[in-house]
Amino acid sequence: MKRDMELDRVEYLSPDAWSQWHTELLQSTVNRAYNRVPFYRKRMEETGIGPDQIGSVEDIVKLPFTSMKDISENYPYGLFSVPLRDIVRIHTLRSGQPNPIALGYAKPDLKRRTELTARFFRSAGVNEDDIVQICLDPGMSLHGQDLKEGAEFLGALVIPPDPVSILSRIRVMVDFKTTVLVTTPSYGLYMLETFKERNMPLAALNLRLMILLGETLTQDVRDVFVQELDVETRAAYGIFEACGPTMAYECSEKQGLHLALDHVIPEVIDPETLEVLEPGREGELVITTVTARANPLLRFRTGDITKLEINTCPCGRTTWRMAPVSGRCDQIVVVRGVKISPEHVRNLICYSTGGKELSFLIVLGRNKHLTQVDIPVAIDESFFTGSLPQLHNWIRDTEDLFLESMGIRCRIRPVEYRSILPFLEKGHIIVSNAQFLAGK
Amino acid sequence: MLHIKNLNASYGPIQVLKNCSLHVDEGEIVSIIGANGAGKTTLLLSVSGLIGSVSGEIKFFDHSIKGLSPDKIVALGIAHCPEGRQLFSPLSVYENLMLGAYARKNVDDKVINEEMNRIFTLFPRLKERINQTAGTLSGGEQQMLAIGRALMAKPRLLLLDEPSLGLAPRLVDTIIRTIVELNQEGMTILLVEQNAKKALEISHRAYILETGRIVLQGRASDLAEDSEIKRAYLGKDYKDLSER
Repeated sequence: MKRDMELDRVEYLSPDAWSQWHTELLQSTVNRAYNRVPFYRKRMEETGIGPDQIGSVEDIVKLPFTSMKDISENYPYGLFSVPLRDIVRIHTLRSGQPNPIALGYAKPDLKRRTELTARFFRSAGVNEDDIVQICLDPGMSLHGQDLKEGAEFLGALVIPPDPVSILSRIRVMVDFKTTVLVTTPSYGLYMLETFKERNMPLAALNLRLMILLGETLTQDVRDVFVQELDVETRAAYGIFEACGPTMAYECSEKQGLHLALDHVIPEVIDPETLEVLEPGREGELVITTVTARANPLLRFRTGDITKLEINTCPCGRTTWRMAPVSGRCDQIVVVRGVKISPEHVRNLICYSTGGKELSFLIVLGRNKHLTQVDIPVAIDESFFTGSLPQLHNWIRDTEDLFLESMGIRCRIRPVEYRSILPFLEKGHIIVSNAQFLAGK
Repeated sequence: MLHIKNLNASYGPIQVLKNCSLHVDEGEIVSIIGANGAGKTTLLLSVSGLIGSVSGEIKFFDHSIKGLSPDKIVALGIAHCPEGRQLFSPLSVYENLMLGAYARKNVDDKVINEEMNRIFTLFPRLKERINQTAGTLSGGEQQMLAIGRALMAKPRLLLLDEPSLGLAPRLVDTIIRTIVELNQEGMTILLVEQNAKKALEISHRAYILETGRIVLQGRASDLAEDSEIKRAYLGKDYKDLSER
């Protein structure tokens, strides 16, 4: 308990203490990255920067950016800053890049992730008496694992994400009297609707708190949960590459998401000019991890659009807050927490056709609150040989490949090239179902 | 309490500390761990004003102490117990202790005597040897005297440089226990100690210094479990760890 209090106290440091804390952590991170990761040393030398130029946290702007492409290009071990024998876990992630994304964790990394997730649960009032059920898609399994470990750390009873049907999940929720549900906003709505469709009494639920992540929680959706289920809601934000699912989270005031400033230094930049924007201005979130041992990330561009609030929250926490993510600055679409990029789709189609490049769209529709991803693929004569069974087999295999690679199911729809041409001519690859049906 | 930002220190052309930033909060024991020559002692000397060639920011309770003379720094409440004890060998235990209070000229003799009695409670052996010259004391007794002398300055922050160096294991435990007792009584301590295991056991936080740069920091209990730290500083067999 004493240790928990110590861990939580950090969220209330004064601005001066944060400045000192960040300067220390940034300097030691840069010292390690420069000396132990050839990629960072080379990148810093190319930009004429050395560890000596990092005199304060403000000097972070001198450091070069890192992107998903860099992580992929340095696959498998290129960005590790500790010897492989100190790595105790490796996660590989799906990506639109030619190589997968490999993230390594040393023991201290795992401990910190668990402690951070536990701190979030504690801040939301979760304790050892709670029954925490986690319902996330396989594409968010890494977040699911962190959440499970964080809740277990607190001593709560945890029902981890299992690949079972929604009805099975609802039954577990009723039978085991789940008190805390962790899911995405859209899946939460889907569960609620299914519950009502089956005429199940809401009184049978024992829910008191919903933790919503993976997608932006809008006020409308929050209101639905609060009014219909009479629950408290808390949103959280995280990226797979750093800190896990609770890198930022809401407090009881719900005036933005408190960033874990003891683990990351956030910035918001203009994605076009790369200029750092002052607090309050919307731009791309950039993260520098300052406690990561195995995989430090310097100025990692998340692609998520948000803005920062640096004033103290009414709850008393001094950690900076970020606004809910309002979109992406790249051509990536986030579906139930899973990032889908046109490059990723293109690579998968190319793989499934044995190297043939076919044109496609990513069409987003809604089915019972869940985003449905359709991929119309332009089939031409060189690919379609006239055998329908063969085409059906290809569709099935490709859908399986998408599920395996992304962790969510997409529907492959063979179409004629001319039906998607109007969109491609305008440079639109990601379109809504309504736009697609209207043909424009 | 103590805030250091971008501390650089040199001996002539040789730069020993490079952009070191660290802090010590009131009531903490903070350790500096590092190999020989990493700059640990230089860091303490820079804080206590014993090295002139220093750049950066050193603040003690929001007052910059960089560039102040050592006696002024002692008067502000920082006492330095140096490596190798640096006692006045021909002088007695009593005289050495009195020299520790030298900077407290305006303080009543009665208060000084109370301080000395407190130190004798902490180290009863010193009372037994009160008239003996410091040079004739054993290593452990000399270390007790060095700490006692620093405490006579009634510091708010105690800088301890290698207090267990050259001592028998039993005496090391005594000194370490004393450091904990002092801390429990409210003394804030910045500790440089070659016995990293002992230092991490009693510290709240620690910084790892490598060739003049801080490369890692954190809770001491976490660092004590860190395989990299174990290999480098805690004497764990490299082979055991790499081939587990």
